[in-house]
Amino acid sequence: MNDKVQIAKSAEMQLIEDKMIMLVQTGRIDNLIDLLAVISDNIEMTTQPMVEKMVNTVDNLASVGFVTENAVRFAKRETAKNSVPSLFGLLKLMKDEEVRRGLAFMLNLTKGIGKQL
Amino acid sequence: MKKKILIVGGGTAGTMTANNLAKKLMPEIEREEVELVMISDSKNHYYRPGAMYVAFQKAAGHEFVRDQRSLLMPEIDFFVDPAVEINTKANYVKGKSGKLYNYDFLVLATGCEVAAERIPGLVEGGDWFYSYEGAKKIAEKFAKIKNGRVLVTVNFPKTPNIPHQCGIAPVETTMMLHDYLTERGVRENIEIIYTYPTKAQAVENGLFLQSPTSKVLPSVFDSINVKHRTGFTLTKVDPAKKIAYSEEGEEIPFDILMSTPPFKAAKVIRDSGLSKAMDDEGWLPTDKKTLKVIGLKNVYTLGDTVDLPVSKAGGTIHNQTDVVADNIAAELRYGYPTESYDGKVIAVAQMGLSCGMPLWYDYEEDVQPTPCSKLGSFMRLGFNKGLYWAAARGML
Repeated sequence: MNDKVQIAKSAEMQLIEDKMIMLVQTGRIDNLIDLLAVISDNIEMTTQPMVEKMVNTVDNLASVGFVTENAVRFAKRETAKNSVPSLFGLLKLMKDEEVRRGLAFMLNLTKGIGKQL
Repeated sequence: MKKKILIVGGGTAGTMTANNLAKKLMPEIEREEVELVMISDSKNHYYRPGAMYVAFQKAAGHEFVRDQRSLLMPEIDFFVDPAVEINTKANYVKGKSGKLYNYDFLVLATGCEVAAERIPGLVEGGDWFYSYEGAKKIAEKFAKIKNGRVLVTVNFPKTPNIPHQCGIAPVETTMMLHDYLTERGVRENIEIIYTYPTKAQAVENGLFLQSPTSKVLPSVFDSINVKHRTGFTLTKVDPAKKIAYSEEGEEIPFDILMSTPPFKAAKVIRDSGLSKAMDDEGWLPTDKKTLKVIGLKNVYTLGDTVDLPVSKAGGTIHNQTDVVADNIAAELRYGYPTESYDGKVIAVAQMGLSCGMPLWYDYEEDVQPTPCSKLGSFMRLGFNKGLYWAAARGML
């Protein structure tokens, strides 16, 4: 006796089956399964402290980006607004408290770099 | 003449909106046609949901506090000067210093605060995780408890159809508590009872403020041996006997009462006469689409201060802030607002210490609960510890 099992399939299921057959026939399925396994392994091996440290690094980079982007935009605006200062004019810029705070920061930055060299 | 936009409040809503306004109005700022000013009652910025992690010893608290100035673009003038008076007829806000801050457009983003004193005995007998001080206090109790009962209660505003702060927080913390006590090895000696009031916005006799989630919660709580009971609206606490009483006439003894207390808007809002909310709660009447204060042409509001039915949470603000910023920019440019808020809220709920459930809903569709996952928890952790600050700065 010939037993034949028939399964009702939707057109969408048939489409997925066709695509899967193509992946199997071309041998790509092996790589894809390996890739899924790698993704799954990575999720399994990742811990909360690891995520926290990674996010902290991203946050530091974002903070540097925020400060730099703002400072460059501000500097461009001020430079465009004012004529090129004389030597004395440059010194006068340093009368501004925020300029002095920024300069002190730059000098401390060089110290921070120096400490790591 | 230079137009002045004043933002009152340096929390999530104020900070995101100030930075988004600076970005959107940069051409006008460059031409010196627009000025942005923010006033706040603190030099610090607090990420409020962080307190939840402090309650379970998963953070010390300082990770969630930053200098407010460091989160603002330099185009925004920032003053620490608590607002004490709002005059919408003369278009100014008065600071505690006595200084008057005039405005052409005003953004009220003063949030809400715990009002535990509104339930007799709750201040003395109860605990909550909605503030850092409260979270530190309850953390000590959770670290010491060896046996007994933790009772979870939830209070809603008296004004109809308005949620308490962060709607999902009572569920999150109940599940975090289960995990934390399990980690400590004392869970089997401690009974957790989660209660919910008879009326929770549109839901009656449920366990959550939206029906689909309310329906799945019993099986979720059963699976972790958390007892649950609806129809318990906390009305009084006896701190000496450690008994919680409900409006419905029930009483439940407890060892620790983890409450979601009543909330109220900031004092300056409650004193302003702008609110029509019940019981001097202070929620601002807000146009659900434009996010303008109803009846005022040049005043916007967002976040925890509004009287909308959506969650008072960061995931709401993140979707409201661009509507407010776009509308103010459009009013300056064309004379009328162009954007509309659809009630969208996007968040990742912390369903236990290491499981996260992404969720979204809007005015039309409730949250469809899905199983939580480890990846979801990483997304939430990533937001708490890093991405939040980028979002506050208007970077995402």
